[in-house]
Amino acid sequence: MERRGFLKGLAGACALTAVGTPTLSLGADKKPKSPNEISYEKALEVITNGKGAKDSDKVHLVVPEIAENGAVVPVKVTVNHPMESNNYVKSIHILSTKNSNARCADIFLTPANGKAYFATRIKLGGTQEVVAVAELTDGTFIKAHKSVKVTIGGCG
Amino acid sequence: MAKRKSLIKIKPKKYKVGDIVKVDFIVIHPMDTGMRKDKKTGKIIPAHYINDVQFFYNDQLVTKMVVWESVSTNPYFSINMKITEPGKIKVVYKDNQGEVNEKTKKVKPKKG
Repeated sequence: MERRGFLKGLAGACALTAVGTPTLSLGADKKPKSPNEISYEKALEVITNGKGAKDSDKVHLVVPEIAENGAVVPVKVTVNHPMESNNYVKSIHILSTKNSNARCADIFLTPANGKAYFATRIKLGGTQEVVAVAELTDGTFIKAHKSVKVTIGGCG
Repeated sequence: MAKRKSLIKIKPKKYKVGDIVKVDFIVIHPMDTGMRKDKKTGKIIPAHYINDVQFFYNDQLVTKMVVWESVSTNPYFSINMKITEPGKIKVVYKDNQGEVNEKTKKVKPKKG
């Protein structure tokens, strides 16, 4: 009985080392972390001061459904809101849900813009959602989100 | 201060006072995230990205942007602007390594 138990233990240890080594080497190959790493939930909390944002039809987010190259994903945001001297869109924030740094760009507008519109190109590390959050002068936050399918990642 | 190539475009080309025009700004910049490795040396390429862009119209701040590394290489930013008088549009952009550059474009609205 003793010998059998010892053999079992030996087999188990072998299996463990076999499984253990590849994970270790994977760990060494891990990509370096972004210095500005922040998760989507935390970024949204920081932007909205913990208030959260409501989904709204006012925010129009235009992104491609399928992006062949994650390094260049065009994003276009328009907010259907007047841009008057005391009632305008204060800021637009573009976020991604799974990038290591969820924030892409924060745009602070003034009534001199005439229309709340912003377009840029962003990098996406994989299939995920792009979120546009807009802040109005009355302190409310509205957002829109759309998922983008990425075939080749762009971060790294 | 390294010189960078940049471009400001006003769309449409012909505009009048009171029109809302699209102002496109493109700059040639690597926008390195600090997470990518150099394939030859195996060293990590340090982060180098534009983090601040400001649009001025006749020395008045119109739009301020805080930009993170998730924006693509050779970034493109497009905003709307209301034309009120002839003058110039100035874009000042800074990056995380301390480079500060600017680009100006004249605004010439058509009469009538």
